Amino acid sequence: MPDFADKLRPSQPDGPTTLAREREQSSISTEELGKHLLSSDGFLERQARILPIVLREPLLAKDKQQNLSRPERFKLGLARAKLLRRLVDQHQWNHEDHKMAEYLVSDVSPYFLHLEMFVTTIREQANEAQRAHWMPLIESWKIVGAYAQTELGHGSNVRGLELEARWDPRTSEFVLHSPTLTASKWWNGSLGRIANHTIVVAQLLLPKAGSPDQFVSHGPHPFIVQVRDMDTHQPLDGVIVGDIGPKYGYITMDNAYMLFNNFRIPHSAMLSRYSSVDPKTGTYSKPAQPAVVYGSLTYVRAQIVHHARLVLARAVTVAVRYTAVRRQFTDRDSNGTGPEMSVLDYPTVQIRILPLLATTFALHYTGLAMRRVYENARQDVERGDFRSLAHMHSMSSGLKSLCTMLAADGIETCRRALGGHGFGGGSGLIELNNDYLSKPTVEGDNWMITQQVASYLIKKMTAAVEAPDTPGADETETRFKLYIQNRGGVSRQPGYRVLESDQEIAKAFELRATVLAYDAYEQRVVKKRSWNSLLVQLHKLSKAQSQSILVSKFFEALSTDINLSSSLKAILWDLYRLFALYTMENEGYDFFRCGAVSQSDLDTLPTRVQDLMAQIRPHAVKLVDSWMIPDYLLDSALGRYDGRVYEDLFNRAHRLNPLNQMTFNPNYWEQEIVKGSGDDGSDILSKL
Amino acid sequence: MPSPPPDWVKALKPSGPQGSELLAEERAQSNVNVEKLSELLHTKEALQRTQKILAIVQPEKVFDKSQNHSLGRVERLQRSLAKAKRLQQLAEQEKWTTEELHTANDLIGEPTPYGLHATMFLVTLREQGTPEQHKLFLERAEKYEIIGCYAQTELGHGSNVRGLETTATWNPDDKTFTITSPTLTASKWWIGSLGRTANHAVVMAQLFIGGKNFGPHPFVVQVRDLKTHQPLENVYVGDIGPKFGYNTMDNGFLLFNNVKVPHVNMLARFSSIDKETNKYARPAVPSLVYGTLTWVRSNIVLQAGGVLARGVTIATRYAAVRRQFQDRDAEPHAGENQVLNYKMVQIRLLPLLASMYALHFTGRGMMRLYQENQKRMKAAASPGQDSRGAGPEELRAGADLLADLHATSCGLKALASTTAGEGLEVCRRACGGHGYSSYSGIGPWYSDYLPTLTWEGDNYMLTQQVARYLLKSARAVLSGKAADNDTARILRNYLNRREKGASFDVLEEDADIVAAFAWRTAHLTFEALKHRDAEKRSWNSLLVDFWRLSTAHSQYLVVKNFHDAVTSPELSSALDQDTKSLMHSLFRLFALHTLEREAAEFFSSGAVTVRQITLTRTTAVMKLLDEVRPHAIRLVDAWAIPDWQLDSSLGRSDGKVYEDLFRRASQENPVNDLVFDPYPWNNNVLKNEPAKSKL
Repeated sequence: MPDFADKLRPSQPDGPTTLAREREQSSISTEELGKHLLSSDGFLERQARILPIVLREPLLAKDKQQNLSRPERFKLGLARAKLLRRLVDQHQWNHEDHKMAEYLVSDVSPYFLHLEMFVTTIREQANEAQRAHWMPLIESWKIVGAYAQTELGHGSNVRGLELEARWDPRTSEFVLHSPTLTASKWWNGSLGRIANHTIVVAQLLLPKAGSPDQFVSHGPHPFIVQVRDMDTHQPLDGVIVGDIGPKYGYITMDNAYMLFNNFRIPHSAMLSRYSSVDPKTGTYSKPAQPAVVYGSLTYVRAQIVHHARLVLARAVTVAVRYTAVRRQFTDRDSNGTGPEMSVLDYPTVQIRILPLLATTFALHYTGLAMRRVYENARQDVERGDFRSLAHMHSMSSGLKSLCTMLAADGIETCRRALGGHGFGGGSGLIELNNDYLSKPTVEGDNWMITQQVASYLIKKMTAAVEAPDTPGADETETRFKLYIQNRGGVSRQPGYRVLESDQEIAKAFELRATVLAYDAYEQRVVKKRSWNSLLVQLHKLSKAQSQSILVSKFFEALSTDINLSSSLKAILWDLYRLFALYTMENEGYDFFRCGAVSQSDLDTLPTRVQDLMAQIRPHAVKLVDSWMIPDYLLDSALGRYDGRVYEDLFNRAHRLNPLNQMTFNPNYWEQEIVKGSGDDGSDILSKL
Repeated sequence: MPSPPPDWVKALKPSGPQGSELLAEERAQSNVNVEKLSELLHTKEALQRTQKILAIVQPEKVFDKSQNHSLGRVERLQRSLAKAKRLQQLAEQEKWTTEELHTANDLIGEPTPYGLHATMFLVTLREQGTPEQHKLFLERAEKYEIIGCYAQTELGHGSNVRGLETTATWNPDDKTFTITSPTLTASKWWIGSLGRTANHAVVMAQLFIGGKNFGPHPFVVQVRDLKTHQPLENVYVGDIGPKFGYNTMDNGFLLFNNVKVPHVNMLARFSSIDKETNKYARPAVPSLVYGTLTWVRSNIVLQAGGVLARGVTIATRYAAVRRQFQDRDAEPHAGENQVLNYKMVQIRLLPLLASMYALHFTGRGMMRLYQENQKRMKAAASPGQDSRGAGPEELRAGADLLADLHATSCGLKALASTTAGEGLEVCRRACGGHGYSSYSGIGPWYSDYLPTLTWEGDNYMLTQQVARYLLKSARAVLSGKAADNDTARILRNYLNRREKGASFDVLEEDADIVAAFAWRTAHLTFEALKHRDAEKRSWNSLLVDFWRLSTAHSQYLVVKNFHDAVTSPELSSALDQDTKSLMHSLFRLFALHTLEREAAEFFSSGAVTVRQITLTRTTAVMKLLDEVRPHAIRLVDAWAIPDWQLDSSLGRSDGKVYEDLFRRASQENPVNDLVFDPYPWNNNVLKNEPAKSKL
């Protein structure tokens, strides 16, 4: 190979020069902002401690992973997961440390379900005796587990699950049986090739009182089941289990299918903290408060909401740094002289990236708030107070839907803003996009679960209408009652002063959500319209409510903070305004119709948004720097901290690309594919 | 592959009603004449061609698709080259026409390493080469004796073609050009078919004569040895690595260390250097060079409908088979509801169903415009034709029409590819969890399509050209010098009626819907003109306004083309009354759904009132969903995409969704051939196998 390429440099000004200038022109202290965002729970300290350990391991280098086949990539994923678990012992890591290492490696771990849903379900839903038996086995990794709920035919509708767990009074056992093909478990992570045990959710069938030949379903219940032999790792008799094949992402996860053929499990397999079957009489007793069972799902949703900020921050970091380095065209008004413009100086690029930069902060503050609400509700429940559950459930559903949509669409928007190079493996956004795009449809489909929010709000509105003058039980009710009291007043306000007051921006969002809630109430409760005909409207209501939460949590966080320096605070306020007003502009018609904003303000919004972007622009690079995402995690030629974009792209293309070690025979009349191999094409056909 | 499942598994059926029964019911409840509609969309000839080619390619083992998503990059490319070779062999053997080869490629459904040779390389040689060059390059290329690609984009420059860094310097002494890459960013990049396959390239390089730069020009350069297939000396070439999609294509990089090529290698139909005088001859019709790009964009618009149709076909059929939850208001024991009956699924899928028809008809319209333009240009190029007595419009029209077509193709390419690309992702998500599986057939298709949103001109960059054209037209209208074309007409109409106001009856009159879209475009055009000319705002500060303007204009064009199509005599004579009126419903659904999403602009331009928007949103669109819903399956059936092409468990025309998902997972999935060791303290990944150092 000729070596003249090694001496070539990118044209000037190059990436490092450009990024150095970007960093000089902003006064932001990335250290201050980084600490503000990420140090309260020790995140930054942990990242700094774990990263060097991870970087030392050759197995965790990401150089060539995108070229591997599914089986090879899965093997690599498992080898890494094993190594990380061994590092836990070696370095005495706690669970958070382990999670940090996984976050940095960024493979979806084939152990994920073992580490999360499997153990959580045992902890929360097993009775004491069961916990005493299983927890030591799980914690010492004597068994490896998974969680199997979703089926081929049923996902969102848990009550529709088809797998049966039939009680056999003669032997005091349950019989697991898949009556149909659609009863096959499906999508269950860590189960396809890895787990030897799993939680199985099945319809509990018990003999009908008086006629023991007939069975009655008591709904879905969790069981713990061994499915593979501990020695051979082969499925047990009566169990068919395997991996469901290639997916959009999640390549290192063995999502499973699983069928049972009259497979017997002992009475003790049913997790019985809340509901149980008496082994002698076969009588069923159920929990006083059914909502508790959904606790772990809410936990997962709250986690997803909290995680969204860092996911989006990754994409925005790449986008901001690369569009600062990338130059294309000279300014049209500059007579074609001077260097080409930084792509980030184009408003058409800014309008895609900078609102998303602001969104990372909005997600951050709401993520924190969601966590607090979850912790509080958990404590309430532990005390036997279940009142806050409905609120938490509604909030987590709506936010899961909106936040994962913002992050998933945001990644893709950033990727496209990178132009052609965004499509390449060196962008660092391919695997992120592939993996994250599962989020809008898992753990409650983003469209489906918004019904839960709407239902909750309609209930609250109904209560407010029925007794508008009594004090509200919570914030939402109080807001609704206030609205009912003022409704129909003659002097309808001309809208909030969203261009002057930060607080009134938040008010405008609240009013819009309230009005949409009232509309929904009116359609459903007063006019008795069918639920189905309202679904689109209800989805909009949920979105409006969740947007309002994002805006008010952002506002509250900035208003109550007393530690940030005033210069930094000023920039954060601009980010708040950008996020809120950009969102408002996109849904401008709604805000206008609700009387939340005047038409003249609405007409001014585009200009205001552009002004805000111009104010934030000089700080963009430092703002993304503050998210402190290491280059190793970004794994992006385009998003490198040092700006050596083109050098890295070239390095990946010619040094790390296995395809270039092979010479092909391009002539169509010759069967040979790899030049000189004499393979005659049969090599390829033989594998088909 | 894994051993077949035991009998008790084979005996299992999905819970009823079966997918096949549900689709049969769907088809029974609609009277759309699928065959007639298919013929209208694709022509009888094209439908027969597809059947003929399908029968040839589907049985060939080399075209098997089952492992496409499990293979690694290297193996995929090898197989892809094997497929490309076999296709070319078949083309020769069966004496396929170009269209038949195209059809075969479409059915295979993946780009192959011959892709850029067969398209851009041949087209460029043909359109930009002289007869001498045709003999020298084109004839050999057509026989695949040389294999080429089109090397324009560089590591540092894509959209800005004038900024390319590769240089071609004319050497008067030995009558050659020296091709050089002065920097790393000058490396050619993304060049399809170049990475491992091509031995020639059309290289776009800045032409320097006597120290003066004459801008980018095309040169034919040999890059690999015809025998050894190794790179020639001082040429550095390779594949750029794994990508989001398009992994069956060897997109390449290319650097030159002072490589000399003879005078004849500069493609010289439009511009050339005189060997003796060293003088540069200017292109006669500069804009003709952009003809290729305009053709490519027209094609993208035409294809966008079909691209989207694949996603919509899959999602619509699956949503008819998939059942989840009982309707909240239904009687107990009513059984679960088909997902397609949910309004929140309909609002995502049915407007896209309408969009694929809209894009298809618009693409047809554009292709017609392109061909008309080619005809006129040819006529204008040959003297004597001017005297044939064309109307006044046509006399001036050569340039006007090109400007119109160029602006139109830019904006529509952006809108159409964005609609199709984003629409596919909407379809994928509408399939819920199973949409995430590669067996859904949407994800891989989406990944391969996505670059269309950024190449041949980034969608955002392109919108500037539309805005520039509209501003120019508006100035011409104001000074009374505008040509008599549609753009000028809508701008004039707006000026004339501005004082009176619009008052369009968008809820009742189809023609008024088109007028409302025209009104909004004209309004935004004059707003932008005010910012630029009266307020003297900088070009850069107006880019977002321009992008909105371009989107509005392109949406107008789609609505107009769709309306033209559904009211055309061609459609009237092809379809029965019911199907025809269903086409009108699709038109209204597309137009009103778009209007509702862009409500603020329609409202603030005064095209419609708040009350009209509210009625559109809450009543009109919902009613249209109800009208279209019973026909949804037949409307996608009419697109006539063969199952083998769809390659989707969820979108099978027989509705056997679950059986197929299970079959692929258990029988075609290589991961299930492996038994793993799950314990962290065992280094080996596979059971009973030592740890391999290969990882």
